[in-house]
Amino acid sequence: MDMNEKPKVEEKVEEQKTKEVPEVEAPKLPDTKEGKLVAEVLEKAPYAEGNVRRERRVEFKVPADRIKEFLELASEKFEMLIQISVVDWLKEGEFELVYQLWSVSESVHAFVRTRIPRENAKMPTAMDIWPVAETYEREAHEFFGIIFEGNPRLGPFILEPREYEKHPLRKDFNTLGYVKTIYGEDFDRYDESKTNYVI
Amino acid sequence: MANLEVPKELKEEAKAHDMYLHPIDKDTYELFFGPQHMATENFSIILKMDGSRIEKAIVNPGFLHRGFEKLAEQRPYFTNIALLLRICVPESDVPENIYSMAVDEIVGWEVPERAQWIRTVVLEMARMSAWMFWIMGFGNEIGLYTAGQWAAAYRERFMRLFEELTGGRVYHIYTVPGGVRRDIPSDKWLRQLRDTVEYLKGKMKDFDEILFDNYITFERTEGVGVMDKRFALKHAVTGPNLRAVGVPYDVRKDDPYLFYPELEFEVPVLREGDSLARVLVRRYEMEQDLYILEQLLDMGPPSGPYMVKDARLKALPRFKPPKGDAYAHVESTKGDFGAYVVSDGTHKPYRVHVRGPSQSHGVTVLEELLRGARLADVPVILKTLDNCPPDIDR
Repeated sequence: MDMNEKPKVEEKVEEQKTKEVPEVEAPKLPDTKEGKLVAEVLEKAPYAEGNVRRERRVEFKVPADRIKEFLELASEKFEMLIQISVVDWLKEGEFELVYQLWSVSESVHAFVRTRIPRENAKMPTAMDIWPVAETYEREAHEFFGIIFEGNPRLGPFILEPREYEKHPLRKDFNTLGYVKTIYGEDFDRYDESKTNYVI
Repeated sequence: MANLEVPKELKEEAKAHDMYLHPIDKDTYELFFGPQHMATENFSIILKMDGSRIEKAIVNPGFLHRGFEKLAEQRPYFTNIALLLRICVPESDVPENIYSMAVDEIVGWEVPERAQWIRTVVLEMARMSAWMFWIMGFGNEIGLYTAGQWAAAYRERFMRLFEELTGGRVYHIYTVPGGVRRDIPSDKWLRQLRDTVEYLKGKMKDFDEILFDNYITFERTEGVGVMDKRFALKHAVTGPNLRAVGVPYDVRKDDPYLFYPELEFEVPVLREGDSLARVLVRRYEMEQDLYILEQLLDMGPPSGPYMVKDARLKALPRFKPPKGDAYAHVESTKGDFGAYVVSDGTHKPYRVHVRGPSQSHGVTVLEELLRGARLADVPVILKTLDNCPPDIDR
């Protein structure tokens, strides 16, 4: 059993808490373990914004050019990268990347959000911090076309090679149109006269 | 000797698809394991072999991809239940639950106690029937077919209970945002569930004798596919696979949901990190699940409604949650299963991203563990990691 690990981390937190004398410019963080955790991370990373969403859920907003730095810092507290979700905000012309981290020692889930422009979307890879990022980045690259610099395995992964350059999870990808071009007349279920089609 | 020369056209066609049909050099050769191999379940691994040892393994998923995440963006919130539950077939209640929990959180619904109790029972029943499914697969992989056949028969009991509760045997479409779709049919159903739990408790001893305490299992799994704690954490391995390397992380304890804070159960942990440890952790968890079900039945369903009262539920296709996002996760038999749902205020979700546990332990981890293993160990490693291809492909 590794139950002895929990008190260790807590002790560390306590130690660092006693060391820090000046308070952060008070973003109204609650006096809970989540609030303390956010304050601690924000003190080392003043460029980020952070808040507590609810019990065991915290949130950080980080500018895209400092994401690598921030993730390296966060990996001390958050041992696991749970997944990298990409949200395509078409109207704003931006991709939102949500790095979801889980802290095994503190039992806190963190959303690390960053936004990058849709055109020529590029991000540094997080593989050297969490090797599992390789898989998530391959997926994000295939479905959204984001290039993760430093990941050697970007390429066809789940989809067929003919779909590789299409990036089907982007909001401007027309599923019906694509299916029609691929299957042509075989796709007889599609009726153009019908509006509000739910495939 | 027969002429084993591959026709030239075939070679060229294979090369165009980045495959090589001929031996790479005198000793090593390439072997395609799956998707037709029954151990891999629509999953493929390309192995570079040296004799019967694996030099390198490349995971090649995508034989299942059905584009659920894209489809979910094109359907109303409640219709998505019937779609997303197909992600994980052996325990289809898990995707239902994580999606419903995330939508509940976005809307801000406090699910009634009775619905929470029913959801907990359903999740535990799903876990139990998924364990039976896993025993079936694992028993078959190492040649102990009897255990697999027993497990399939016991799973049938849960299927029948599910059919009576939800109307479906495998796909239940039962847990919906705000509660559950219908109430428990009768007290008779609860009695039948208790009988099943009692029956399975007695049968665990038989499983021990035939499978878990068996010489063959020990020979085949001990020291095979070993990983250490640091490696597992860096690769975000969760569930029984993580608990087999000595980290007591269980979503039910660490991020409690539904009725779990009120239940008493243990999180079994072993330290060896090999296939045997993973098998034994699963065996201990089965016992704990039966214990949880027993406690829930002793507690009895709380009285009250099984669905939240909300005027918006009257026009389901046009149901609109407010803007926001949420991540919910539950402990499945494969590991930490989660869903990230983003709402932009319309009647369809803006984005649904499902985190399958196999996504982390079924790609890079599998490739690492297979390196240096024997060919005969491939199904054992696959099954003890409990790799579920739909988690990866979706």
